[in-house]
Amino acid sequence: MTTVKFTINGQPVEGEKGETVLDVALKYNIDLPTLCYHKALLPYGACRLCVVELVAGGRGRLVAACTHPAEEGLSVLTDSETVKRNRKVVMELIMTQCAGSPEILEMAKKLGVDRTRFRSFKTDPEDRCILCGLCVRMCAERMGQSAIGFSDRGYKRKVKPPFDTQSEVCQTCGACSFVCPTKTIKLEQFTKNKTKPILSEFDMGLRSRPAVYISYPQAVPNKPVIDKKNCVRLLKGDCGVCKEVCKAGAIDYDQKEITEELDVGSIILSPGFETFAPQLREEYGFGIFPNVVTSLQFERMLSSSGPFKGEVKRPSDGKHPKRIAWLQCVGSRDEPSGRSYCSAVCCTYATKEAIIAKEHAPGTDAHIFFIDMRTYGKGFEEYRTRAEKEYGVVYHRCRVPNIEEDPKTQDLIMNYRDETGSTKRERFDLVVLSVGMQTPDDLKALAKKLGVDLNEFGFAATPALEPMTTSREGIFVAGALQSPKDIPDTVSQGLGAAAKATEGISSERGTLAAVESFPPEKDVNAEEPRIGVFVCHCGTNIAGVVDVKEVARYIRTRHDLGVVFADTGLYTCSADHLKHMKEIIDERQLNRVVVASCTPRTHEPLFQNTLKESGINQHLFELASVREHVSWVHRSDPKKATEKAKHMVLMAVEKVRRAEAVHKEPAKVTHSALIIGGGLAGLTVAAELSSQGFETHLVEQEAELGGNVRNIFHLLSGEDPQKYLKNLISKVMSDPKVQVHLTARVRDVEGFIGNFRARIENKRGELQEVAVGAIVVATGAKELVPTGYFGFGTDPRIITQLQLDRVLHEGNLDAKTVVMIQCVGSREDTGRTYCSRVCCSEAVKNAIEVKKKRPDANVFVLYRDLRTYGLNEQHYKRARELGVQFIRYENEDKPVASVVDGRLRVEVNDHNLATRFILRPDLLVLSAATIPSGTNLELAQILKVPQTEHGFFMEAHAKIAPLSFTAEGIYMCGTAHSPRFMDETITQALGAAQKAVEVLSKETVSLEGIPVYIDADRCTGCGYCEAVCPTKAIKINAHTGKAEVTEVLCKGCGACAAACPSGVPSPRGFTKDQIFTMVDAALEEL
Amino acid sequence: MTKLKTVADLEKLHSELAGKKDPRRRAIAVCAVPGCGAYGSEKVPPALREELKKRGLEDKVEVLATGCQGFCEKGPIMVIRPEDILYISVKPEDAAEIIDETIIHGRVVERLLYKDPATGQKVVHENEIPFYKYQTRNIFGPNARIDPNSIEDYIAIGGYSALAKALTKMTPEQVIDEVKRSGLRGRGGAGFSCGQKWQFARQAVSPDGVKYVIVNGDEGDPGAYMDRSLLEGNPHSVIEGLMIGAYAIGACEGYLYVRTEYPLAIKRLHIALAQAEEYGLLGTNILGTGFNFTVRIFRGAGAFVCGEETALLASLESRVGEPRGKPPFPAQSGLWGKPTNINNVKTWANIAPIIQNGAEWFNSIGTKTSKGTMIFSLVGKINNSGLVEVPMGITLRKMIYDIGGGIPKGKRFKAVQMGGPSGGCVPESLLDLPIDYDQLTAAGAMMGSGGMIVMDETTCMVDIAKYFLNFLKDESCGKCTPCRVGVTQMHAILADICEGRGTMEDLDTLTELADVVKNASLCLLGGTAPNPVLTTMRYFKDEYVAHIRDKKCPAHVCKKLITYKVDAEKCTGCGACLKACPSQAVSGEKKRSHAIDPAKCIRCGACHDACKFNAVEML
Repeated sequence: MTTVKFTINGQPVEGEKGETVLDVALKYNIDLPTLCYHKALLPYGACRLCVVELVAGGRGRLVAACTHPAEEGLSVLTDSETVKRNRKVVMELIMTQCAGSPEILEMAKKLGVDRTRFRSFKTDPEDRCILCGLCVRMCAERMGQSAIGFSDRGYKRKVKPPFDTQSEVCQTCGACSFVCPTKTIKLEQFTKNKTKPILSEFDMGLRSRPAVYISYPQAVPNKPVIDKKNCVRLLKGDCGVCKEVCKAGAIDYDQKEITEELDVGSIILSPGFETFAPQLREEYGFGIFPNVVTSLQFERMLSSSGPFKGEVKRPSDGKHPKRIAWLQCVGSRDEPSGRSYCSAVCCTYATKEAIIAKEHAPGTDAHIFFIDMRTYGKGFEEYRTRAEKEYGVVYHRCRVPNIEEDPKTQDLIMNYRDETGSTKRERFDLVVLSVGMQTPDDLKALAKKLGVDLNEFGFAATPALEPMTTSREGIFVAGALQSPKDIPDTVSQGLGAAAKATEGISSERGTLAAVESFPPEKDVNAEEPRIGVFVCHCGTNIAGVVDVKEVARYIRTRHDLGVVFADTGLYTCSADHLKHMKEIIDERQLNRVVVASCTPRTHEPLFQNTLKESGINQHLFELASVREHVSWVHRSDPKKATEKAKHMVLMAVEKVRRAEAVHKEPAKVTHSALIIGGGLAGLTVAAELSSQGFETHLVEQEAELGGNVRNIFHLLSGEDPQKYLKNLISKVMSDPKVQVHLTARVRDVEGFIGNFRARIENKRGELQEVAVGAIVVATGAKELVPTGYFGFGTDPRIITQLQLDRVLHEGNLDAKTVVMIQCVGSREDTGRTYCSRVCCSEAVKNAIEVKKKRPDANVFVLYRDLRTYGLNEQHYKRARELGVQFIRYENEDKPVASVVDGRLRVEVNDHNLATRFILRPDLLVLSAATIPSGTNLELAQILKVPQTEHGFFMEAHAKIAPLSFTAEGIYMCGTAHSPRFMDETITQALGAAQKAVEVLSKETVSLEGIPVYIDADRCTGCGYCEAVCPTKAIKINAHTGKAEVTEVLCKGCGACAAACPSGVPSPRGFTKDQIFTMVDAALEEL
Repeated sequence: MTKLKTVADLEKLHSELAGKKDPRRRAIAVCAVPGCGAYGSEKVPPALREELKKRGLEDKVEVLATGCQGFCEKGPIMVIRPEDILYISVKPEDAAEIIDETIIHGRVVERLLYKDPATGQKVVHENEIPFYKYQTRNIFGPNARIDPNSIEDYIAIGGYSALAKALTKMTPEQVIDEVKRSGLRGRGGAGFSCGQKWQFARQAVSPDGVKYVIVNGDEGDPGAYMDRSLLEGNPHSVIEGLMIGAYAIGACEGYLYVRTEYPLAIKRLHIALAQAEEYGLLGTNILGTGFNFTVRIFRGAGAFVCGEETALLASLESRVGEPRGKPPFPAQSGLWGKPTNINNVKTWANIAPIIQNGAEWFNSIGTKTSKGTMIFSLVGKINNSGLVEVPMGITLRKMIYDIGGGIPKGKRFKAVQMGGPSGGCVPESLLDLPIDYDQLTAAGAMMGSGGMIVMDETTCMVDIAKYFLNFLKDESCGKCTPCRVGVTQMHAILADICEGRGTMEDLDTLTELADVVKNASLCLLGGTAPNPVLTTMRYFKDEYVAHIRDKKCPAHVCKKLITYKVDAEKCTGCGACLKACPSQAVSGEKKRSHAIDPAKCIRCGACHDACKFNAVEML
């Protein structure tokens, strides 16, 4: 290789012989507009956009950078006035050719051309061909086909197959249309062969993808793969374009699958789920009618990175649908298709999709057709109510028999019977099939290979009270493989499975761990600020509203504030972009970074880590939340949103400019835990932590362990809960690692993650202080005493389900007719608006037990929606088979219970049959609500953790952190979280134990808060700060009379700073100077 | 026919043949190529031979069917030697009289003589008529002295001796040096130093040693036929030049790229190559010097752009004839990627005389920067149209008025369009411009391959610019944006102006567009395409303004801008115009003044032509 040296815009550059001027310019990041250039194709020089000026002997001439060889001594100008003028006119000429192609207009804009003075002579208004020849050359040079070429010359020139017939040699690889800059080439017009787009799996076939692809924008690892079934290179040896364009030289066509052998102690199976193939329900026309889509396809439509960039469009014509219908239970509760179970999540997701569809396009009519509305999860019932009341989603209780299509409009027509029994015929623009969950097909083979049994529904067979345990020892299961479940339950189970998997091998903990190391931190405090700003598109989440390029352009001009770099990225959080950020930090010698993106909650640590990896203190970072605070809330006014985003970025720049490096000492961890509550959840946590080698303090307010489970005698699965509980209690009681505190209460907790100090009061009122590293809240819940509901308390024949369970256990059932009423104290219009989740299954269980004991018994279950979600649906079915009668009542038309002539009398309107029944039960059983423990409020105050409006505990994040509090080191599980079954409680308990293990297994923890700085010289020792400090971190030193901060205790909340009359404490990261300049920046005229 | 194995063999053959060709011997040379052929010239030599035979003179008098002799205006041309009597517009029927009168009795046939329009005098001898008098026919001259189908004729006049000289007495470097010193510049248009170009090709390294030489015979300018005339009239002169060039740069293979539209040239080249091969002048070990050379003929499909050398190469490689960016120049990477030297037909034809007569001989002709002679096709509104070979530096005035005989019908000269369709229009004010490469470029025109189209006062300069742009928009290969789209847009603007839709801003747009098309185009087709617009705007701006502002075409060419009106004073009411009008636009009773309805008038001019009283006016 011979090196040639020359200059571009006066800057000395080096190229290699054989390279073009453009090659070298690109290497030096000198931007040149190109249209006919493609790295994998021979230089062509046709579009003339990349013209540059070669200066020699004081005279310049224009050449195309893409074809002119890099030669020694050239003097190249890429941006001279001549170049700019010529380029603009060339662009104007190109614009006459492309019928307003948005791609070209975008380029034109960049060159400062917004219109062309010239006219178009094209006869076909659809013809956007600019004759760049990329398609022709791609086909000839790379695919070896020459299925298309140029015909005619001059202005008559056209791209055509030879002889202007449809090409037979075309291999329909689609490279021509892929490479076409104006998206003009329509493969179908050129080829005689059938085109077969490769449908994107991630976008559920709603759009096509190339043969080299990244599964989705945030895939981990974010690396493309070659689809060998469709790669022309791997199939035929042609093409190879990807290898040419890959700057990293990462493409290896000879790569083979490799088998790696791993020695592991446990295995967790979490392969996820597949959706039901809706083609099997032919009557809905999926795959035939383009406007019938699945719920997952609809999910993609709603996504800003989806096929229509976040717009909801009809696949048939791209129009925005005005009326959308959701059909529930497609492939769920569906005996004919062999899927009799309930998929557990569809009711809620359909509700969510309907709400988002309405948010996307206000005025959209959303209709959900369902059998039972099973929104049983925490907060879901309230969500559904809002959908109906606030958003106007219309719910229809009916199963739609079939869908027809209007062949003209491709609208969809549904004939159905509404709740009143009258026949309706309605027209919809789009129908969404809420498809059910099933285990992946290939799982059967894998399960067989692993020796793991599956149940009759194809899910992993697990013992009733060991939901992560498979039939093979050491192999555990999590997520939808075990049963259909939603995100929070999946996260809990994932954690639970992690606990189970760790349990047997905890002695080896940490032996394979690699310590994360960072380069030494650069001391940049003395340097002038050099700030880099990275503005994130977040797909179209931000960029769809905010003109992110404009934001970057603006802030780039603020050299006065030390901004030396600003640019945008599609997904700033992607691995690729983080790498790019590190490169920019090095290259531009940045010492402070601002990211304008989504939320600091999830992403700040990510970016801070990137700073650390570049040797920059993590506190020299600022995140401007232009998604949450701008694009999401100002969707309707992009212009003002962009202005606000600029202000927010400016504020962040002002703040980070004044930021200082902060160093915090990590705190040591106490390797034991406090468990509050000795019921099933608490016991499970204690046993689990013990088996993982950690000591615990188990505090139970009653004199006996076991909690609510002591009152449960039957389970739907047939297990004996009492036996299970007895075993668990004895295991815990005999465990030296567990200190059980009975009739005890936690009175006081101080400290922070890894270093809590709790005082436990025993029944004698003595206080014991214990030091723990983590706390698990397992205070449980209880059955409502339904006094005032249906005469409860006035007649001994009116009892609750738990009472019936005991009656059945004790064999005292003396009733031929049993009526059960559901939703007693649950799903109320005000107050207890939530669903208690377990009651429907409890009723079914007890109904079955009654029928088992007395087959001649008449059992009636009066319900609103029967919520035997998931695999419990089978028991509902069994109950019906046993003759249990289910009568649906409406909330507005509740059953009426009374005692007439000494006999119980229940009057109910059956809304399914539109018939009034009068029942004479011997026993009236109320399915009473599950209500939180009464001690929760006190505990919440002690722990400084939040509760829900109903008195359960509030998790840090409903989906991804269901077992954590926002306060670090404190976790929750069981019915303290929300009503749930025993197996679900056990799952959560194991999950919470695992969260505790995360803390306890560490030697040290680093603290979140940035301690305040005390300017001791100005402190008068008044002590106001000490009084307000919530963490007792600030104290007046008795000797010096000055305030002092215990740094590990300080959370950096700033209360002291607000209280101090002389403004002595300065919360680092929020200094007055920072705040005031931010306020100025917020008000600055841009 | 025996192979010439040595230079001595060639010299021997030359003296034998030259002996037979006594310059004092009587011979009749008749131009028998398409120009004169259009008037039936090919029948003249057979008629002459027939008459000679009748009189038993067939062995005494040689009848030559020659290539073009240049004075096409008066074809068929006949020259009778040794006196060099020139007969014009000869017909086969004249054969007997010519034989009887001139050959047998030495009398001149007066009616076949050229009459000088200036003096009214008949002129007998070829070199006395103004058309020939001012020419220096170094390259073209031999056309009249040989039968193009006969290599012997060529050898007889010294053909292939320059090759022999180069092969035996000169090193390749010396040949290049000689050509360089001669100052010969490429006759294809760009005018690059020929020797310099050869040197690049010689210096270029070819990994397998293969290099090519190519004759660019893709003459595409409308109205130009100099290359064709050379190929038809003296094919060996081109082949010999090509061989000398091949020897100089180190090539053993050559191509003659000739457009299919020149079937006669192709036929004659085939004959010439076969003859040269038979004599061993092509093939291996030529004249015993160890030099090997073979030539193939490639018929181009007739795209104007294939005259551009990279497009020509693409075409030769059986690809679409599209140019590519330079560098790399063909000298570095030409045909099939090998070092290649391409020269125009006329350039090659100049080589043998230069080698034979020396650089100084060539150097002594012409101007400081442009040496030798140049062949022009002088056409258009001119009395003596034809092919003209003149020394560089001759003035336009001399060309047009002395050689060309001035403008017909006493019309006023307006401009001459020089250099082919993408050349420029040179106005009357520059008539004293000496013609050479640099002067023409400075004037906004170019040498091109030597087209000269003379225009008189009846030519509309906007229309003429539109005409050439139309040609160029059709002939643009369409590869690059400025040429494909830019020329089309320029043409559209010109059409607007010609049809009365022009605005003054159009002139600025035209100027700006012309500049971009000139600078940003891929090849010189686009690079020169704006010349007709730029030069007409430079020298005839007033005509543009008249079209745009006054909606008038001063030359009365642009139909949409003409109004026909009857002058009531002059009109006799004869009704001739009324009858002639195809669109019933003329009305009027007999013997009363007529009138033209402008709404119905299609501006065909039939009324104007029909009127015997000049009563129909064009406004």
